[in-house]
Amino acid sequence: MSTVSRQPEIVGDSAESPVTRVCVGTSCVLRGADRIREALRAHGPVETVHCLGFCDQSPAIANLSGEVHTRCVPGSLGHTLRRTSPAATASHVRALGTEPIVTRRIGAGDFASLSKAVRDGAYGALDAAVRRPAALVLEAVEASGERGRGGGDYSTGAKWRAAARAPHGPRVAIANGDEGDPGSFVDRLLLERDPHGVLEGLALCAYAIGAGEAIVFIRREYPRAIARMQRAIDDANEIGILGPAVCGSAFSLQVRVERGVGRYVCGEETALLNAVEGLRPEVRVRPPYPAERGLGGLPTVINNVETLVNVPWIVARGADAYAALGTAHSHGTKALCLSAAFEAPGVVEVPFGISLLDVIQDAGATVCDDSALFGVLLGGPMGSLLEVSECDVPVFYGAMAERGIRLGHGGLVALPPEVRLQRLLKSLLHFAHDESCGKCLPCRVGSRRALDLFGEMGIAAAAEIEGLLELMEGTSLCGFGRGIPGPLRTLLARLSNGQLRA
Amino acid sequence: MTASIDGRRVEPRAGETILEAARRLDIEIPSLCSAPGLEPEGGCRLCLVEIEGEAEPRAACTEPLRPGARICTESPGLRDTRRSLLTLLMLEHGELPLQPDPGGCELERVMARLDVPGSPQPAPSRLDGTHPYLRFDPARCITCRRCVHACDEIQGRSVFSIEGPAHEPRLAFGAEHFGDSRCVACGACVDVCPTAALSDRDRLGVAAPQATMTSTCGYCGVGCQVEIGHTKGRVVSIGGKAGAAVNRGHLCAKGRYAHAYVHSPDRLTRPLLRRNGNLEPVSWETALDHVATRLDEIHQRFGPDALGALSSSRSTNEAAYLLQKLFRTRFGTNHVDCCARVCHASTALALRTATGAGAASACYDDIERAELIVVAGANPTEAHPILGARVARRVRQGARLLVIDPRRIELADVADLHLALQPDTNVPLFNALAALLIEAGAFDADYLESRCEGFDAFATFLRGESLQDAASLTGVGGEALRAAADLIADTGPSLFVHGLGLSELVQGTDSVLALCNLALLTGSIGRPGAGMLPLRGQNNVQGNADMGSTPTLLTGYQSLSDPEVQARVETVWGQAPPLTAGLTLPEMFDAAACGRLRALWIQGEDVAQSDANQSHILEALERLELLVVQELFLTETARRADVVFPAAGALEQDGTFTNGERRIQRVRAAVPAPGEARPDAEVIADVAERLGCRWEKRAPADVMDEIAQLAPALFGGVHYERLEGDGLQWPCPSRNHPGTPRLHTDGFARGPAGLHPLRFRASPEHGVASHPFTLITGRVLQHYNVGSMTRRTPSLGLAPYDTLEIHPEDADGEQVGDGDVLWIESRWGRIQARARLSDRIARGTLFLSFHHPETRTNALTGPQRDPLSQCPDYKVTAVRLERSAP
Repeated sequence: MSTVSRQPEIVGDSAESPVTRVCVGTSCVLRGADRIREALRAHGPVETVHCLGFCDQSPAIANLSGEVHTRCVPGSLGHTLRRTSPAATASHVRALGTEPIVTRRIGAGDFASLSKAVRDGAYGALDAAVRRPAALVLEAVEASGERGRGGGDYSTGAKWRAAARAPHGPRVAIANGDEGDPGSFVDRLLLERDPHGVLEGLALCAYAIGAGEAIVFIRREYPRAIARMQRAIDDANEIGILGPAVCGSAFSLQVRVERGVGRYVCGEETALLNAVEGLRPEVRVRPPYPAERGLGGLPTVINNVETLVNVPWIVARGADAYAALGTAHSHGTKALCLSAAFEAPGVVEVPFGISLLDVIQDAGATVCDDSALFGVLLGGPMGSLLEVSECDVPVFYGAMAERGIRLGHGGLVALPPEVRLQRLLKSLLHFAHDESCGKCLPCRVGSRRALDLFGEMGIAAAAEIEGLLELMEGTSLCGFGRGIPGPLRTLLARLSNGQLRA
Repeated sequence: MTASIDGRRVEPRAGETILEAARRLDIEIPSLCSAPGLEPEGGCRLCLVEIEGEAEPRAACTEPLRPGARICTESPGLRDTRRSLLTLLMLEHGELPLQPDPGGCELERVMARLDVPGSPQPAPSRLDGTHPYLRFDPARCITCRRCVHACDEIQGRSVFSIEGPAHEPRLAFGAEHFGDSRCVACGACVDVCPTAALSDRDRLGVAAPQATMTSTCGYCGVGCQVEIGHTKGRVVSIGGKAGAAVNRGHLCAKGRYAHAYVHSPDRLTRPLLRRNGNLEPVSWETALDHVATRLDEIHQRFGPDALGALSSSRSTNEAAYLLQKLFRTRFGTNHVDCCARVCHASTALALRTATGAGAASACYDDIERAELIVVAGANPTEAHPILGARVARRVRQGARLLVIDPRRIELADVADLHLALQPDTNVPLFNALAALLIEAGAFDADYLESRCEGFDAFATFLRGESLQDAASLTGVGGEALRAAADLIADTGPSLFVHGLGLSELVQGTDSVLALCNLALLTGSIGRPGAGMLPLRGQNNVQGNADMGSTPTLLTGYQSLSDPEVQARVETVWGQAPPLTAGLTLPEMFDAAACGRLRALWIQGEDVAQSDANQSHILEALERLELLVVQELFLTETARRADVVFPAAGALEQDGTFTNGERRIQRVRAAVPAPGEARPDAEVIADVAERLGCRWEKRAPADVMDEIAQLAPALFGGVHYERLEGDGLQWPCPSRNHPGTPRLHTDGFARGPAGLHPLRFRASPEHGVASHPFTLITGRVLQHYNVGSMTRRTPSLGLAPYDTLEIHPEDADGEQVGDGDVLWIESRWGRIQARARLSDRIARGTLFLSFHHPETRTNALTGPQRDPLSQCPDYKVTAVRLERSAP
C-alpha cells in the first residue's frame, strides 16, 4: 500500500554510480527485504544499506535516482524503479502522557521554512539568551538534568561544563545527526522538518561553551536532511540569526553541514571527529575526551540531534519546568520510534518513567493472546532483545541499565509472532561485521569470524559464536563492539536452547 | 593517594596510564599496539587489567592510574582473555613468515608467554627491499599501527597510514615501493614493530650482536646517545639509547644506519709518508720521527709563527686539547684554530659580545618548554634531524613556530609563519621586527631594565630605520613582518634556534647580534623554554672550541693575557702560553699562501673540500713545507699531505664529545680501529714525547682531569666518573656541581647584556650584474659534511651526487630540465652540477650541497669573510648558469 508522492527522498551520492539500494535494517529485513532484494536483481545491480531511516514504513528501497520508496512489494517493483509508483510518506508523530517537547514541531507539520519556524517561536530562546551571560544558558542546562539522548545517557550540562572549563581558545559544537541505528528515525525527521529547532539548540550550546564554530554532522544516507539543513543554515545566516552577529549580538557563530561517510560507527563521537577531519572513520581512544581535545585538538561538544532540540525549550521555559517532566533521575521526555510491524508505527514522545509495555500496547500491539507480539528489539542492534513479558519496565536509562536493558536511541522494532529469529540473528551478525570500524582486534576479527561460522555451520556454531561475542563484549574498544553482542547473545541463547521458534 | 599494581605500591603521576606506571615498576603487561612514549592505540586489547571495584577489565594503555586504585595485571581470567585475543590475531593473519632474528620478535615472545601456538607452516615472505636501510614485509604485518604512531609522533613524517576495508586493513606508505616513500630512515618504526615486518636492512643476515657499547654518535653536534652492537670487532647495528636525555632512543638515518664506513676498505690503516712525490706506507716510528723532526726544524729555522694547527671537530675533546697544548707549549704559538671558525665563529663571537658566553644559552629540553620557536637560518630536520623532529613534535603539541629562511624548509610546512627572506638580509629583518616590537610596546621592560643596557640608543637607532626599506630589502613584505612581530609579541619569551644561515655571512656576527636583540627585548635569555640555541654542526665542534682551539683564547675561553690565568696555566703546563693572539684558520691559509706559515697540522678536517675559496686553499696547501694530516680516509686534504696518520674513528676510541647544549658526554671504543690506525690523542702525545715534552697525563680520563684543573670555571667538576649516563653540561665548576643546563638564569656573565644598533652591510656578492643568481651552499639529510663517511655507506644510494636546487621558473628561463647538468660560474670558479627543480627555493636563489669532492662546490665560494669573526661567506655567492652541451 502506498500513497501519493509528495516528497521524493533522494539517497546516494550523485558522484557515485547509481545503483538500487535495499534497506537491510532490522525492520525491513523482518518485513521481507530479502524477497525485495531477490526480485530487484532481475532489474539490475543491487546494493544493501543498513537502514534508510524509514523503519515505520518497511520495507524500503532507494531507486536509481535516489528516491526512497517504502512498503515495497516484490510484485510491483517495476513501477517503483520506473518512478511511477509513489515514494515514502510522512511519518506519524504523537505524544503519550506528556506535552510534546522534542516532537512539538515535527508532530504539527513541516517547519523547514524559516518564517514558519520563527512564527512558531523558533530562535526566541536564542535571541533572549545571547543578550544575557552565556553562563546562564550553561547553568540552565545543568540544572535541567538533561542527559544525552543518543544512548550515552551522559549529563549534557556536565559535557558542556567540561568544554567551557577548557583553557581560553576556540571551541567547537557539533550536532550528531549520524543516526545509524536501524530502528531509529526521529533525528531524520527533526533534521528535515525542524532544522531550525536543531540549529537553535546547537547555537545555544555553542554560546554556552564559547564556540565560534558549529557543525551539523548528518549521515550520507539522509541526503534530504542534508539539503534541508543546509538551506536552513543559509536562511538563518541571511537574516542574521546565525553568522557573525547571532541575533544582532556580539556572539559570532559559523555553522556548516558535514556529510557522513556511510559508516555506522561515525555516530560514535570520536569516529565522527575522524570523519570530519578526513581521517579513517574509526573510533579514537579516550581519554582524552572530545570536551578536552576534540576536533583538530579543540575542546568540542558533540550532542545528539534530539538532545539539542530539548535545549531551546529548557532555556525558554526554565530548568524547573523541564525537571518536572520524567522521573527524579531522568528528566524530560524521550522520543521512541516504532517500526512498521506495530499497528500505529511512527514516533511517540513519552515522559521518562512510562512503562515500555504501555507504549507497546498504545501502539496497537497485542501482548497476551495467541497473536501476541513475540517481543521487541529495543535501541537498535546494540540495544536489547526483549520478549513481551520483559517489557514492563520504565522507559528510563537508569532503571533499564539495572536490568541490563539498553534503551539506546529509543528505536523499537516489533518482533511479530511469526518472527524468524535465525534470520534476525543473521541480519545482526551482518550488521556487526559490516559496521565494525576495524580499529580493535576483538571487534574486527570477532565480528568477521562470527559471521563466517554462522555462514558455515548455522546455529550449530552457537557455542563458538557465543565465545566470540563474549570476548567482543568484554574487551572491545568502544560501545559498538561492547554493545553489539547483547541482542545477539540473547538470540543465540534462546535459539540454541531450542526454547523458541527458529 | 598511593595506588597499587600487583600488590606493589606506586605513586600515580598526573596523566599517567596504568601501562606507563606498570612499566615504571618493570611489570610487563602484554601489548602489541602500544609502545613507550607513543600515544596509545587501544587496538590489540591485550593489556586489559582488572581494577578492583570495576566489573569489566580495562585497557591499561588508555586507563589513567587513579589514586587509590588497586590493579591486577595477571589472573586466570585475564590470561584466558589474552589467549583468546591472540588466537583471533592468528586467525586473522593465518601464517606469519619466520622472523629473521633467531631471538624471535615481540609477537612470538608474547605468544610463548601466553602459550598460544604459532603457525606450523610459515607463509612466504613478500619482502619489499627497495629502500637501502629499511625493509617491509607485508606478510608479517599485523597492522598494529605502532609504526604509524612512531612516524607521526617521533619523526613527524607521517609516512604510514592504514588503508583498505575495515576487515582487511593494510599498512600503506604512500608509494608502491618503500624506497619511493617519504621515509627519512630514522628507524623509529623498526624499533617499535612487534613482528619485524619493518626491519633494518643493515642487520640482514647478521647474527644478533654479541655485545653492545653505549657511546655518543659521531655525526653532527646534537650528541645522540647510541648503543653500538658489535660482534668480533665489527659493528653490527646501532640503536638509540632509550631514555637518553638528548635523543630518548631516537636516531636519524646517519646515526642509526650510516656505519658501513667504519669497515670500508678505503680506511687508512698505515701511516703514509710522501717520498718522491708519492704517499707511501711507513711504520709509525718512521712517521712519528719524521713529523717531530720536521716540526722542530721548521720551528728552529722560522720561529713559532711558521707553525699552525687545526684540531678536529670530529675527534675527542682530549685530542683537541692536546694538539693546542703541543703547539702552545712546545712551539710557543697561538696559531691554533678549528673548523668552528668557518661555521659558528660568528655565533660564538656575537653571543660572547652580547651575553658574555659564546655558547647556547638554552638547552634542548627548552624545545619542549617553548611556546614560540623561531628557527632562523637553520634546517634542523636535515642537518640536525633529532632536534628537527623534537621541534616538529613540540609544534604538534601546540607551540608556535616562526621559520626565517630563504628556503621553504620542511619545518616551514608546519610553521605558523615562514619568512622567506633574501639570503644575507638577516640584519634588516631582525631590526624591523625589533622596531615593530618596540613600537607596539611588546618588550619586557623589567628584564631590559634589570639585565640589559643600551635600550634607549637602540630604540633611537631603530626609529631611523624604515620598515618599508626592510620589507623591500628582505623581500618579505611589510605585512609578513608585522605578522611575525605579532607572533613574537603574543608569546614574549621565545626559543631562538639558529644556524649557519646567520653565521656564515659577511655580516654573520651582526646577524646573530641582531637576533640576540630580539631575544633580549622579549626577555628570552635565561628563561626556561626560551633563549638562544645555535645548532652546532659537527659532533664535537662545541668541545673543540671549548678546549682552546682558537687563537685568541685558552682552554675554557680564558683570556690569554689574564695574569691569574697565566699563572694557573704555568702551574699546569709547566710554562706560560704565548701572550699574543695567533692566526685564525683563514688567516693561516693566507699566511701559508704567501709563505709565512710553513708547517700545518690538520686533524680530521678536509679543508680542501669544505673551505671556501677552494683555489686559494689548494694554493696554500701546495706551498706548505710540511702538512700533517690525521684522517680516516685519504681525503682531498690528506692526498696533499706530507705525512698522513691513520686515525681511529668515533666508534673506535675513548674520550668525550661536547654537544651543542654544552653537554660533555662519553665516547667509548666499541670496536678496534682497523690496521694500525690510532686515536688522534695518542699520536699527538707520541709526537710531543719525541719533541721532548714530558706529559704525564695521556689517558683520556687523565687528560680530562688536567682540563678541569686548567679551566676550573667551566670544567672544574668534570671528571670521567661523573660522565656516565647523560654527562654534564658546562659550566660545572666543582665536583658536587650538577652542571648547568641553561645559562644566564640569574644575570649575564658579562654584566648587563648589550642591545646592539646594527646597520645592514650587504655582501659584495650581492648585486653582481654579470652573475644574477644567489647561491646558498649547505647540507642535505643523507650526508655529513664532506661526505667522507656517509658516501661510504648505503646512504650514497639515497643521494648519489650533489644537486643544484633551482626554482622551476628559473629553470624554465635557463631552459634547464630536472636532472640536466649545467655549468655554475661564480667570479671565483666554475663547476658542473645536476639541476633539481624545486619550488622550495625562491626564484633567483639556488642551493647546492658540498658532500661530494668531485662537485667542488667550494670552487664557487669566494674570499669574503666576516671581518669580526673571519667566518667565510658560504651562504651568498653570485653565480650565473649555463647549460652544458649534451
